[in-house]
Amino acid sequence: MSDDPRSGADRDFERRARAWFEAGVDGLDAGTRSRLNRSRQQALAAATGERRASGTSWTGAAVGALAASVVVAVLLWRGAGEPTSPPLDARVAADEAPGQALEVLAANEDDLRLVAAEEDLEFYAWVEAAAATAGAGES
Amino acid sequence: MPGLPEETRLDARAADLDRFLASVERRAFRIARIALRSTDDAHDVVQVAMLRLAQHYAGKPGEQWAPLFYRILHNAIRDLQRRQAVRRRFLGWLPGSPRPDDETAEVDPLEQVADPQPEPGERLSQAEAMSRLELALRDLPPRQFQAFTLRCLEGLDVAATASAMGCSTGSVKTHYFRALQNLRARLDEVYP
Repeated sequence: MSDDPRSGADRDFERRARAWFEAGVDGLDAGTRSRLNRSRQQALAAATGERRASGTSWTGAAVGALAASVVVAVLLWRGAGEPTSPPLDARVAADEAPGQALEVLAANEDDLRLVAAEEDLEFYAWVEAAAATAGAGES
Repeated sequence: MPGLPEETRLDARAADLDRFLASVERRAFRIARIALRSTDDAHDVVQVAMLRLAQHYAGKPGEQWAPLFYRILHNAIRDLQRRQAVRRRFLGWLPGSPRPDDETAEVDPLEQVADPQPEPGERLSQAEAMSRLELALRDLPPRQFQAFTLRCLEGLDVAATASAMGCSTGSVKTHYFRALQNLRARLDEVYP
């Protein structure tokens, strides 16, 4: 037994209603059809443009991430290959001459002032020694 | 379509969607025109439905497009009807605003159709028949209107109609059968 409560008369009515409706759809004027066509094209253009723009933005993000990775890799590589400032003790130990060690210390203005003061002390020590030698000769 | 370039796949999808929308746009417009009694409003809601389907559901399988499209369409119709009702209610309080019985208010051409009250059994033209069907459809409760237009006029099956209406298939059958009886009661004496 079917659970469809529609009678034969119901089905006849459905057929007629569908035919009337289809006739109305077919009878739409050219202006209405043209406006519907424009609406459809606008909807498709908006959706297609959006999806393409979305694809472009993902591509741009991927390119940006790749570029950033390359920059970081280069910086890390350069950092590993060229140590910028080895420990001072190591360099002093490597250079046996004290003068060279002082040159290493003289890396900035403060260091240069220290070197000058040390040279002055040597000068004063020499003057004192020279005076003592002359005093000894006179006496 | 794996293996095809992205651009080609998008173009093929857009072509499918174009065909689908072209196949439903005129019926959708007629339904919206009946419900809203305004040509411009009918165009607006059809455009909204097309745009939303294209923007949000173009990636869905093609067999889901029809219930999705009609669900969006009927929601847009309902929203616009509510806004129209609110606008009428509030504008009615403003001085100089058009009254429902105002001659300058927008006139619905369908309501101007002559009602010659033909004798039972008298056959009218197809255009007159459709006009009477449209008037009768407008008097249906909203859910019966949806069920009848989707099932009978748009040709959706019960499951797709239920999906479009957001209800069970049992509710669809109930609404549809009541709509059918109401319409027959209005029109059978004219179109036996």
